[in-house]
Amino acid sequence: MDAMKTQARDGNAIPMETTPVDPTSLESAPLDPAPAEERRKVIGVAGLAKRFGTLAALEDVTFDVFSGEFIAIMGPSGSGKTTLLNILSLLDTPTDGSYRLDGIETATLTEREQVVIRREKIGLVFQQFHLIPYLTAVENLMLAQYYHSVADRAEALEALDRIGLADRADHLPSQLSGGEQQRVCIARALINDPALILADEPTGNLDAANEELVMGLFETLKAQGHTVILVTHNPDLGNRTDHIVRLQHGRLVR
Amino acid sequence: MAVEQRIAARRRGAGLARLATFAQLIYRSLTVRGSRLGVALAAIVVGAAIVTALTSLYFDISIKMSEELRAFGPNIIISPRPGAVGADQPRGVAADELRQAIAAMPRERLVGGTPFLYGLVRLDLGNAVLAGVDFAALKAISPFWQVEGGWVSADFDDRNAMVGRRLAQSMDLSIGSAVTIRSLDGATQAKVTVKGIAETGENEDSQIFVNLSLAQKLLNLRGRADFAMASVVAQGSEADAITEALARRFPDLDARPIRKVSQADGQILDKIEGLMALVAAIILVITTLSVNATLTAMIAERTPQIGLQKAIGASNRSIVAQILAETAAICLVAVGVGLLLGFGLAQVLGQAVFGAWVTFRPIVVPLTLGLSLAAALIAAVLPVWGAVGIVPARVLRGE
Repeated sequence: MDAMKTQARDGNAIPMETTPVDPTSLESAPLDPAPAEERRKVIGVAGLAKRFGTLAALEDVTFDVFSGEFIAIMGPSGSGKTTLLNILSLLDTPTDGSYRLDGIETATLTEREQVVIRREKIGLVFQQFHLIPYLTAVENLMLAQYYHSVADRAEALEALDRIGLADRADHLPSQLSGGEQQRVCIARALINDPALILADEPTGNLDAANEELVMGLFETLKAQGHTVILVTHNPDLGNRTDHIVRLQHGRLVR
Repeated sequence: MAVEQRIAARRRGAGLARLATFAQLIYRSLTVRGSRLGVALAAIVVGAAIVTALTSLYFDISIKMSEELRAFGPNIIISPRPGAVGADQPRGVAADELRQAIAAMPRERLVGGTPFLYGLVRLDLGNAVLAGVDFAALKAISPFWQVEGGWVSADFDDRNAMVGRRLAQSMDLSIGSAVTIRSLDGATQAKVTVKGIAETGENEDSQIFVNLSLAQKLLNLRGRADFAMASVVAQGSEADAITEALARRFPDLDARPIRKVSQADGQILDKIEGLMALVAAIILVITTLSVNATLTAMIAERTPQIGLQKAIGASNRSIVAQILAETAAICLVAVGVGLLLGFGLAQVLGQAVFGAWVTFRPIVVPLTLGLSLAAALIAAVLPVWGAVGIVPARVLRGE
């Protein structure tokens, strides 16, 4: 993807991988058969459960994700994908189990600490883009910078330049196409250099050309060393990731 | 600036840079909501205008009322304290002491004050009550006198006199008439010309007025006066405070407010001020409800954006600060307009009620701003509460 010109997080170029995943390797084990000790564990989920009253949305979910991995979470509607993503993004808390993000046990965090961790370690990409409609593309990025630390227009413009939207910096979201809005959303997710990028059906509202553009962007991010988790219904997209976490009725399936 | 540099800048403070971004966020957020913003602005403008008008009148009305009530005559009387004058002394009190007491009243409040000396004298056609006064002060404290001819303009003028209407009729006197005033024992006499004929509807209509020193000479009471009357611009208890201060400084004198005027002054003011406070309170409540409804609608519209802001790292404190800052910004603009409109409204009311322009009082600005801000911020409590309760996971799913 020529639009992505950033250096890899560790400074080295990482070859792009789109290896299909053997789902049998997922449960209660590192997702990548490669030696885990060589890479940092970004996510460690163990025995995770989420119940809404008597309804179990997630039950005994266990998996690890290491830095530089590109993971897909797949499953039918109601399988618990969004609930898992909300917990991973600290927008929700599990009923049971442990979730360690970048070495931090999140179960004991206060709401305020969760906000801090979210803005420093997580980049979110949404199906509906969710840009602030009255802020321009560059201002949307600056808002994320502002909540993180200090807004820096020059850096935000560079980020837009890297996704090929430098000339759209001062356009409002309503003046951008769906694909452009999603690219701004991805740039916003990346602007604070998070440890983890969580994308919820990021191509769900895009046409085929933009879907390819966005997936290419994620593959480039993975190649640069970013850790990306993608929630999708689309098996073709899932097959382009390193591994697939497959959910059914709230449980990981082999 | 890389992320690490931004974090370092944040640790160093970066207050101005963050404030600039915050201000830009507030500006963008407000300017995008024309119609709703207009409703909130209009509600606060109306509230601020009415509060401005009423508080302007409130601060002006007491002075205007006092000035109008001064038309009913003097409101403080100063007389010798009972027992202060020895049996061996001539009657009354030293006129100079009364003048000193008058001069000791707050200059900015004092309309005027004169000693009075009364006594019986003989005129050409019979006896009459003679009053010795300082004419300039008498004129100042007696605006209700209907005077034909003119006032004796100089206190030292001992050649002219004023007579009451009834006395003028009974003695067949008119403007320009020469009158000889004699003491009862006939030892002293003075010839004066009638310069003015006064009609008050009171005892003054049967008296003849000359300057104080001439009266003292004719009554053989040199340097003396019976009492003094003064007029001060003061509301209810302020007149009490002035007389109490006089009593402390002049122990031989008894200074008292003339109740019929000062009490009427206070009672009318209390009622009018109470009515204005009630109207202002009702308007502020209506403003609060209106702004609350508008802010609630604005927050409801922005639920997805607030959810997103929380998802990307905004704390509840940031969200609260943003909403309150937006409310305060709306309020500041509205109060600016409301102050101008309100001052105009105060002029209309001032002309309609008092026939006078209302003076601008700087205290009105912080008062209106404070009351309007309080109303707007109270109105924002429930919407802020709602915004804090927004769960990002739900709104981002479109629930």
